[in-house]
Amino acid sequence: MSFTMNAKKLPAILLGTGLLLGGCSGNNSDGAPSESAAGTSSANPSASTNSGWQGTITMYAQVYTPNSKNIAGLKNQTKLREVADEYEAAHPGIKIEFVDEEFKDYTQTVRVKAAAGEMFDVFWGQWAELNNTFPKGIAEDLTEYFNKPNPYIPDKATWAEAMNTTVISETRSPDSKSYNINGDYVATAFFYNKDLFEQAGIAQAPTSWSELISATQQLKAAGITAMSQAPDYDWFQRHFLSDFFSKEYESISAFDESPGVSSLDQSIAIVKGMLNTSDERFMGWWPLFKSLTDNWKPDYLSSDPGVVGSNARNDFLAGKTAIFYDGSWLPENAKDAKVTFGLGSFNFPVLTTADTPYTTGEDVSGAVGGPNAAFQFAVSTKEANATMKETGKQAAVIDWLQFLGTPANVEKIVNEHGTFVPTWPDTKPAESMIELANQASNKLKALGVGGSSPNLGKNIQRIFGLYLSGNIDFDKAKADVQKELDTAIKEYQSKNNVDFSQY
Amino acid sequence: MAGKAKIKSALTGYGFILPTFVFLIWFMYYPVYQALNGAFTDWDGFNAPNYIGLDNFTRMFSDEVLRQSVVNALIWIALSIVLAIVPPFFVAELIFHLKKERAQYIYRTLFVVPIVIPGIVTILLWRFLYQGDGALNQLLDIVGLGSLKQLWLGDPNIALYSIILMGFPWISAFNLLIFYSGLQSISSEVIEAAKLEGAIGWKRVRLIDIPLSAPQLRLIVILTLIGSLQNIIPPLIMTNGGPGYSTYVPILHMYNVSTVNGEFGYGMAIALVMFAVILLLTLINMKLIKSES
Repeated sequence: MSFTMNAKKLPAILLGTGLLLGGCSGNNSDGAPSESAAGTSSANPSASTNSGWQGTITMYAQVYTPNSKNIAGLKNQTKLREVADEYEAAHPGIKIEFVDEEFKDYTQTVRVKAAAGEMFDVFWGQWAELNNTFPKGIAEDLTEYFNKPNPYIPDKATWAEAMNTTVISETRSPDSKSYNINGDYVATAFFYNKDLFEQAGIAQAPTSWSELISATQQLKAAGITAMSQAPDYDWFQRHFLSDFFSKEYESISAFDESPGVSSLDQSIAIVKGMLNTSDERFMGWWPLFKSLTDNWKPDYLSSDPGVVGSNARNDFLAGKTAIFYDGSWLPENAKDAKVTFGLGSFNFPVLTTADTPYTTGEDVSGAVGGPNAAFQFAVSTKEANATMKETGKQAAVIDWLQFLGTPANVEKIVNEHGTFVPTWPDTKPAESMIELANQASNKLKALGVGGSSPNLGKNIQRIFGLYLSGNIDFDKAKADVQKELDTAIKEYQSKNNVDFSQY
Repeated sequence: MAGKAKIKSALTGYGFILPTFVFLIWFMYYPVYQALNGAFTDWDGFNAPNYIGLDNFTRMFSDEVLRQSVVNALIWIALSIVLAIVPPFFVAELIFHLKKERAQYIYRTLFVVPIVIPGIVTILLWRFLYQGDGALNQLLDIVGLGSLKQLWLGDPNIALYSIILMGFPWISAFNLLIFYSGLQSISSEVIEAAKLEGAIGWKRVRLIDIPLSAPQLRLIVILTLIGSLQNIIPPLIMTNGGPGYSTYVPILHMYNVSTVNGEFGYGMAIALVMFAVILLLTLINMKLIKSES
């Protein structure tokens, strides 16, 4: 055999070697091991104690991460670590390790980790994302555990009895599964700079819509920026739609025959012409809201809240703007920023027929807040987390979750952070949250759209921004919104195999 | 024996490049192979993909967002190519014509030093400059041009151009060096002959420098084309494609449908089409800008 022929063969051999090595891949994406779309629990549902497994349980606790050094703005917290230490003492051989990392794009992180089989054992996950955004099969269905006793809550017949049952119902997936335990509530409000209000001659915080408009006009006239932020469609739609459609709430929430408004309920309401543009009320609040935002600084009106949100918040904390609509974490942000102005807050006002003919006069100040906060923890499946294949590990992780998920621990952990409100029946809010906790005690009757597709809310946000900034008129906005709704419904139908004609 | 020694030497060489080759295949070519397969599936990034034939490609024809993003991309490419060629070439010519070598060295260094600044820093800085009360609007006020103030990133009619024109004075250090080296490679005899023929100053630039810089021009056009289509960071960081879809580009659409919507199959189909388009434009470019060495 000549040298020349050998030399020509060598690159081919190298290429073949490379491809062969490439083919010997454990890469999940090349035919994921999951055989069914839904996450199925393989753990013994009646195993309420550690099945003898020993090892480390990893947990990403988001803002409840104890002793965090890497998560910006997180004060030093210890309660969750104390709970973990208690568990470890009672279960020798098991360690609880908290992931101290900040994830700028958490959705992407979850997708990638799950695809690689490296998901955390217990992880924070918004119920809406677990139900709609993340691929199916990442999180264990916890329903059967909810329906059985929790050994750490002996006075309750089932674990679910210790929880907020409306929240369980509202956060179920379209196929009636519960993918996380949900223990806290986030409130929202208009926060304001008392010093700037005084400067503009405004004696007290607005208590009605017309007072709010008037306050922003007064601030503007005084040369003060009244508000400057990207108005979040997803938030504000909930205030207005929960008011305008309050009389239809019961019928909308009953479509899927369980309490609360799920993404299925939303989708059916869209298909039936209730939560869509054929009903005047659906977008009837846009011109009303525009009368408020016309007094805002226009810089961020058409921007993505995710892109400019922290800039806008920083402008408020720096004393450049007078009012900022945000979640109940803002007072903590203000403390961290060592603001020198007086900080006050007022709720979204109750509307009157003088403001809009569509109002039903409901108090919807609590409509934006909800069980969308930080105490939402899911358990990864063995497809998303290869370590869950270890014998007994899944039962051990569920046991840890049951230990963590008791009213006493929920209250302790949530209140230490101080920006959210515990929602379970036997819990009390922290002192600082008592005012905003009143929102949580209102019956959860929030209405909105966005659960039908991961893109729906974001796409309507774009149209909302263009309308408020005056770049498109109402008719164009209406047509574009309807297109988005139609697309979202088609997507929901195909992903969830739903036959809307049966409703 | 000599043959055996040569084979041994060749094997040694191949042995050294094998690890790199394996990484190249695993991290560069294998993902392309996966994307080729994935483009014909409905894959959520986690569960087993379902083969759906050409559905992803037919969907592109009715995707209005993709249509808008393609228009934006074409504008981006056209302006980017102009900005990638004209200012750096102009500065390269100016530096090349400096009489003293030391002065050439100093100016070359000054223009190249900014290359050490990470691109993300530049983008965040310009996002800050473009704010309503940012430095750009403040500067316009100071010079008495307050009527020209804009919502640079908040107006859908100008946001795209604001992002494209970020980076004034658009003197890319890399492009400058490419052009400069091209000018240096022009034979001094050609330059002397041109002088004798009366081709001096801008006439020389037009008749000698530009034609003889064709290889550099071609390279920069190709790189700018590919770079513009692949550059997701500015629209993602500055506007996330907004206001509306005025700064949406195909690669951002590909990113969002994959990571936000979990439609990796469709995202891969978009990537595949982009690859084909870039390849086609590159081939056309290579044919149009011929060089004679």
